[in-house]
Amino acid sequence: MTSLDFALIGHPESWRAAADVLAFLRGPELTPLPDDEVRDILPWIPPRTVCHVDAGSPIAGATARGLYIDSFIPPDRLEAANLRENIARVRAAAASAIHSGAKIVSLGGFSSILIEGNFDQLPERRDTVFTTGNTLTVAFIVQGIRKMCALEGRNLRNETLLIVGATGDVGSGCARCLAPLVKRVLICARNVERLRRLAAELQADGVQVEVATDVEQFSAEAGIVICAASMASPALLLGGLAPHAIVCDAGYPKNLSPGADMPGARVFFGGLGQITGGLRFAPDLRGILNRHPFPNVVHGCLLEGIALALEGRFEPFSQGRGSITPERVAEIESIAARHGIYLAPLYNAQGPVEAGRESGRLACSRRGVSPGGGSCQQQG
Amino acid sequence: MEAAVDFAQSPTECTTISLSAPIWQDVLAQAMTGELLAAMNYTSLSEVCDDPAEVAEALEHAQNERGHAAAFAAEGRRIGVNVASNVDAKHWKRLRGAFLGCIAERDFIGCLIVQEIMLESFAVASYSRVGKVAPGSLGETFARIAAEEEEHIEHALAFLRTERARDAQRFDDKLHRLHLEVMTILAQMLAKECKDGHCEVCQTSCVKPSLFEVRLSAAELRGASLQQYLKTLDMLGIPGEVSLSWVAQLPV
Repeated sequence: MTSLDFALIGHPESWRAAADVLAFLRGPELTPLPDDEVRDILPWIPPRTVCHVDAGSPIAGATARGLYIDSFIPPDRLEAANLRENIARVRAAAASAIHSGAKIVSLGGFSSILIEGNFDQLPERRDTVFTTGNTLTVAFIVQGIRKMCALEGRNLRNETLLIVGATGDVGSGCARCLAPLVKRVLICARNVERLRRLAAELQADGVQVEVATDVEQFSAEAGIVICAASMASPALLLGGLAPHAIVCDAGYPKNLSPGADMPGARVFFGGLGQITGGLRFAPDLRGILNRHPFPNVVHGCLLEGIALALEGRFEPFSQGRGSITPERVAEIESIAARHGIYLAPLYNAQGPVEAGRESGRLACSRRGVSPGGGSCQQQG
Repeated sequence: MEAAVDFAQSPTECTTISLSAPIWQDVLAQAMTGELLAAMNYTSLSEVCDDPAEVAEALEHAQNERGHAAAFAAEGRRIGVNVASNVDAKHWKRLRGAFLGCIAERDFIGCLIVQEIMLESFAVASYSRVGKVAPGSLGETFARIAAEEEEHIEHALAFLRTERARDAQRFDDKLHRLHLEVMTILAQMLAKECKDGHCEVCQTSCVKPSLFEVRLSAAELRGASLQQYLKTLDMLGIPGEVSLSWVAQLPV
């Protein structure tokens, strides 16, 4: 067994993403598998390492060696009905990470369910620690909101913030970080009791908070929206959204439905970071596993494990649910920054938000076709 | 063809089986052919073993596989169908040829890889799936034989792991070469549709499009087989990313 610094556990965000990985592995000589064959074969692939990942740091000589392990949860089987099977898959992926000798494991997307209150689901660990990576995800969401407000000339102090999926680990972390900075907070989730608890916590700090289980109740009032719900597929419509609202879709899979009609909204995908020291994949699945329009961009949850590995802090930085505080966010931000890991350039389904400002403005209905001719629809 | 009455089965099961008997007939024919081929392979293996204990073990395995074939034939009789095997059918013949290639080289390890890692993975996975849906004793027989074949794999794995520990690179090169030869044939055999003509085992037309009538599918049998194969390679110590790319390159 070779000792590794980190392992990243993930799952395909879409069938297209899964098909592209299999096409790469088949090689250029073989035709890619037809979509129906991908859908038939993928669910049978046991969790396993897909590639080796090395991460660099600006700190002289600092590198971290790791693995990307895919649990191969089929993109259309993330619903609660498949919970038992999916936990078994993530557990098998975790066992593979432990077996590989990884010192720290980041759990991406759905995988974090394993340690958001399900510690007993983890395999026997030996010297491996697990982190959900949610603290760095929160950091990048908050940074993204601040950056977008700056780009738009908006003052957070005057804004009403809506958080969809507010009682989740990421949603509640965002609430704690941003609530003191905005005028008013609207929190939305399915569980009323958890919503009330979070509202009480925020109100104790003097924040004006309202709760709802129906997002439509709030969408017209919000100037800033964070979508951080655990959704099996992009299905959030955000009907009646205020014109020029800033919308951060931080879901994995994405929360926003391709059919969401949000004229004038400024949408960006949140929770993403960029590692300036670079990532090396073997085999070279660069841009296939991390499907973003910029190099070396990875979800914050996975980057947290890399940052901690580069720092030599092999500890379960993010565990449980609802324990992300502004102080912990600041701590992981500084660790990440020390190793050249920063907020990724903002982008959305139509491309970069910052370079061509208009390209990011969803002036068209998301049902329509973008000015560049590409579909407004997300892959999925 | 008259359906035989099995007193262990309920009237509903009898009706279900008689309606689906032609499907089970083809499923049994494939299984019986595989078992007879395995028996032939173990017999051939016994001829190249130097150690008398290995000879005895190979012959014992051959006898077991013949017993499995007989059990499948008996299940056919029980539901009123004649199960005909064909070890010379095109895919099976090529699989036998691959095994005989190892025999010709007196490659004991290669023989074990082909029979235990590849063919038995396929058998264990597909029999297990059939065992879950086939009614009555038919299902029980498939499940029982799947469990017995799984024991074969575990026994071989212990030996092969030791062999791999001696020279992993050499072992993996051999494994990959045999994978390309044998798993390509198995993948063609397991394809959702038989694109290159009749398999020469099914009695009339291809059974694959009818499998849904007995709550099976060709895609499921292929998926389960590839999954079992990947898990077997994991147990052997082959890195996951390596076995994944091997399987991804198989024909569909």
